[in-house]
Amino acid sequence: MNNIKEIKNEMLGERYYEIDHKSGLKIFVYPKENYASTYAIFGTKYGSIDTCFKLEGENEFTEVPEGIAHFLEHKLFESEELDAFARYAKTGASANAYTSFDKTCYLFQCSDNLEDSLEILLDFVQNPYFTEKTVQKEQGIIGQEINMYQDEPGWRSHFELLRALYHKHPVRIDIAGTVESISHITADLLYECYETFYNPANMALAVAGNVTVEQVLNMADKMIKPKECKKIERKFQIEPAEVVADKVEHKLSVAMPIFAIGFKEDIKTPERTLKESLESTLLLDIIAGKTSDLYEELLSEGLINTTFDAEFFEGYGYSAHLFNGESNDYDKVRERITAELRRVMNEGIDRETFDRIKKKHYGSFIMNFNDVDSLANSLVGEYFNGDGLFDQLSVLESITVEDVENRLRSAINLENSAMSVILPN
Amino acid sequence: MNKKFYKEIGAGVKLLCVNSEKFKTNCIHVDFYLPIGEFLAAQNVLSSLMGHTSKKYNSFKKFNAKVESLYGADFDSSIATVGEKVKMKFAIEVPDDRFSLDGESISESAVDFLVEILSNPNAENGAFDEENTAREIRFTLENLDAEKNDKRSYAISRLRQLMCQNEPYGIDREKLYNDVKNLDSKALFKAYENILKTATIVITACGTLKAEMLEEKFSAFAEKIQGREIASLDTIYVESADEIRYFTEKMDITQAKLVMGLRTGMKDADDNYFAYRVMTDVFGGGPYSRLFMNVREKLSLCYYCNSRLIRDKGIIFIQSGIENENYEKAKNEIFNQLEVMKKGEFTDEDFTSSITALCDAFKGVGDSPAAVCTFYGSQALDDCVIDGSEYAKLISQVTREQVTECAKKVTVDTVYLLTGEEKGNE
Repeated sequence: MNNIKEIKNEMLGERYYEIDHKSGLKIFVYPKENYASTYAIFGTKYGSIDTCFKLEGENEFTEVPEGIAHFLEHKLFESEELDAFARYAKTGASANAYTSFDKTCYLFQCSDNLEDSLEILLDFVQNPYFTEKTVQKEQGIIGQEINMYQDEPGWRSHFELLRALYHKHPVRIDIAGTVESISHITADLLYECYETFYNPANMALAVAGNVTVEQVLNMADKMIKPKECKKIERKFQIEPAEVVADKVEHKLSVAMPIFAIGFKEDIKTPERTLKESLESTLLLDIIAGKTSDLYEELLSEGLINTTFDAEFFEGYGYSAHLFNGESNDYDKVRERITAELRRVMNEGIDRETFDRIKKKHYGSFIMNFNDVDSLANSLVGEYFNGDGLFDQLSVLESITVEDVENRLRSAINLENSAMSVILPN
Repeated sequence: MNKKFYKEIGAGVKLLCVNSEKFKTNCIHVDFYLPIGEFLAAQNVLSSLMGHTSKKYNSFKKFNAKVESLYGADFDSSIATVGEKVKMKFAIEVPDDRFSLDGESISESAVDFLVEILSNPNAENGAFDEENTAREIRFTLENLDAEKNDKRSYAISRLRQLMCQNEPYGIDREKLYNDVKNLDSKALFKAYENILKTATIVITACGTLKAEMLEEKFSAFAEKIQGREIASLDTIYVESADEIRYFTEKMDITQAKLVMGLRTGMKDADDNYFAYRVMTDVFGGGPYSRLFMNVREKLSLCYYCNSRLIRDKGIIFIQSGIENENYEKAKNEIFNQLEVMKKGEFTDEDFTSSITALCDAFKGVGDSPAAVCTFYGSQALDDCVIDGSEYAKLISQVTREQVTECAKKVTVDTVYLLTGEEKGNE
């Protein structure tokens, strides 16, 4: 039997349905009244960081080449007959897929023929077909994708920073791997990864927009193949608390130096709670957002431009507070950020600022509920993190200025940061 | 389902409001259209400056604190060209009034904010604030410089300049850079006054806000502008290229960028537009297109290879990222696929896939307030307002023969290669 639960939020006037499908698959259906389009996403909790794993009962861990999750994403679109794109071409849906550090997702958006497109999605993701020849063909295409990113300074500075922050954690490797690492990928290895991670129990389906629960369940009942559910064990090497390098520099064709600064959190447990994540987001907005003193000062002194921003970066086994921007005097920017963090650690956060930033995030939260794509993506993302879609609001409400101050003092160690700079060549 | 209100509320001031209850937000766009011309440098600076400070909110911090107080509004000011028109856009999106915590009408405050920053910029006695001007000129120069950071758009920008060097569309980036550098606070203010006086202004809004409220506030804004004299917005359509011109430039990069500019034969933005739209899509739109299926999937030469129609200029751009040594192969295959289009040798399946995908996409255009504002905004400029499903209907009426006829008129004008190293024989 499929167990259906209605999840409501009175303030927003919104609701969606969470379904435990009999196959073990978690399904979310989010009907949006008067919407013409629908967005569907079928994802597995399997990303670029899952490079060493075994199934329950197996003796040995399997280590696979870097970039294989992303490679698999490309290859799943192919089948012995029509590939998935050719099938979607008949329904008119706009389809795509992406791989991140911790998940791989297949998606489409459509206005017509929802059921046909949903059938295609559920079918091709569950039916892998690889041969050595098709694997080889993809190495050329993905090789070009990797090279494209090599020339993107923002991307490069981000990954070079991760390599300066992390010794062992696979977050330090590029999501698509390298031209060298993907040359070791074979059809057999792809099947092995597929069999491990593409199991309904490790996956989720979310459909938002012009859709009903019945439509999705009918299709899931017809299409989802039950599989024996085995527990996946992932192996991560122990990550030292310290950063790898204080500063790394690389050269590219850029107009002005591009920097990324990261403060590595010394974590005792692999995952941050939703509350900790939100505290960090508020904190960074207070310290370095567009209404912060730091931002205004750095701008007027000519040390940064409006590309400057900060983000909280976390996932299984890693957590860091990041600052990115362009500057000719990036060392000075780093000093000033560090000094400002120190000042706030000592003096605390101004309450008025805290209230304004909190109100801003209340508004931003509400604004996420317009777009079917962001709803479906968030449903899957939050589920893999162990949270519900509406949880953010109540957690946000519960956060106090003291919580954010404590988060600053516990999560940021001023002595443990790294900087990556992309210099003009 | 949606109620549309459309009215010219002053000379060259158009207001379009789409009412819908289904969204959580209200969205307002104000677009200023002028021909590409003498004020281009100033427009670049003003688009940044007026989105960062105003007389009332005279520091970056105060300005953004106001934006944050509007429940974390999404505010954006930007500049872009639409054919040979320059569009300066000021856009804001805020949570719907029903989410207000203290009874304030968030949407009305958002409109007041827009009117305030447009009417009262950070200037006095015919000049913008000096310090501010210097800072914004710095941002603009850094922004122009940073164009080379993104190799994909840099290649297109170079192509555009080389291909259209005798048309306003081929903006000379070096001249623009120097013009920005030479601006001062007075020249900037003069440009600001000129923009208000001569631009066609299009206001689009979507959500629950009332058209009457918008009309009242924006009419008052427009009435205050003295001596409105609307500049005409014409674009030169070059119908065909005599011969193909080839350019190669070098940069220290890993992946080469191959881009091409084609003349479509369109005489204006409405000349067979829907057929050209389908033709460009069959050629290089989605993953069902000729370019994707052949240059990427069959020959494995690239990760992306696509074409896009610039309706307002009658041009098609093709872009691809390739291995340097594959230049000839990729170029020849793109030419080859263009021939397939011209000879009408694309399959029925190619054709129907494209029609189906385009229709599907247009039907969904009403599901995001910002997309609604953008979609109707460009139409309101031309006084023709139709919705997504009517658009889809016009797409579905295009025939194979029309597509082939369009393709036959297409000529390759310029081929541009941005490469990391010496290229083989050409």
